[in-house]
Amino acid sequence: MSIAAEQALSREEQDILQELMNIAFGRASADLAEVIDTYVVLNVPEVRTLKVVDLPEFISTEISDHDIISIVEQSYLGRFKGVALLIFPSGAGRELLKLFGDNVEDYGEDVSMAALEKESILEVSNILIGACVGKVVELLDDEVSFSPPRIIIEDHPRNAIPCEIFEPDSLATVMRTVFQFSDRNISGYLFLINSNESFQWLKKALNRFMEQYE
Amino acid sequence: MIHTILIVDDSTISRKIVKKCLPKDREFELFEAGDGLAGLEKFKEVKPDLVFLDLTMPVMDGVQALKEMLKVDQDAVVVVQTADVQKKTISNVMDSGAFTLLRKPLSPEAVAEVLRLVEGTGHKKG
Repeated sequence: MSIAAEQALSREEQDILQELMNIAFGRASADLAEVIDTYVVLNVPEVRTLKVVDLPEFISTEISDHDIISIVEQSYLGRFKGVALLIFPSGAGRELLKLFGDNVEDYGEDVSMAALEKESILEVSNILIGACVGKVVELLDDEVSFSPPRIIIEDHPRNAIPCEIFEPDSLATVMRTVFQFSDRNISGYLFLINSNESFQWLKKALNRFMEQYE
Repeated sequence: MIHTILIVDDSTISRKIVKKCLPKDREFELFEAGDGLAGLEKFKEVKPDLVFLDLTMPVMDGVQALKEMLKVDQDAVVVVQTADVQKKTISNVMDSGAFTLLRKPLSPEAVAEVLRLVEGTGHKKG
């Protein structure tokens, strides 16, 4: 067995992480529902370990229903270290803007619809990524800081999905959840991608989480 | 007294946490299922005194399973344990007939309180 494979999470550790992701995204959705008038339909999250070099293809396949997407990329830094990708299909910015109850006319001629749509996506990503990553880390009794988000609006997935997140020959743990805003026909995808730098700490933290129930 | 408990959750970890949160000084007969439909079938088979039911599950979700269980036995005691803590979810679950809703992750204190409440109300077969 290679060193990389030994470092990767075991099946049970992945199951623990999946349950933590489930809890964290549930809290994040509740936070979002407090801010905008919507109901977030949750799905069962998935956790898997991949080679970094295979990540772009994996993400492209997951979102293959959509030719044009908007994507927010934000790094989280700490012992739980990685990159969050929040992906929406084309048109989501406009729908999210409606959820915030905003009209472009309210902002005068100086503000474009595109800018407002971008702001609405950033606001949703700020809540979902911040609350979800924050809750996972809180459950693991640690903390993280965030880099400023990077946003790409309405582009083809091959241009928008980052290709060089981590070292290409290393492994990454991918936490993925898909969600819908029930009354707006908007789907979204949240990927939390942890580099193998955090594997060693993560394994210990996950096992420590379960020890409280022993 | 509660003796038989059915735990329905697609997460093996979540089912393990429920089991670990049950009082250590009591004995229970435990049954498990990994999705709502399997949970419903197990419910019909064993007629448990208490059900811990997750919401976000494949095949059949928790709300549907809850409604089906109550069709089978209108006195069923179903405690929903979920990560989905949106207000609309909580009201939907309670309107659908759940005994109560617990936020994940469960704690031994929360589970002990639920057992006390269920047994205190005499809600189910004695």
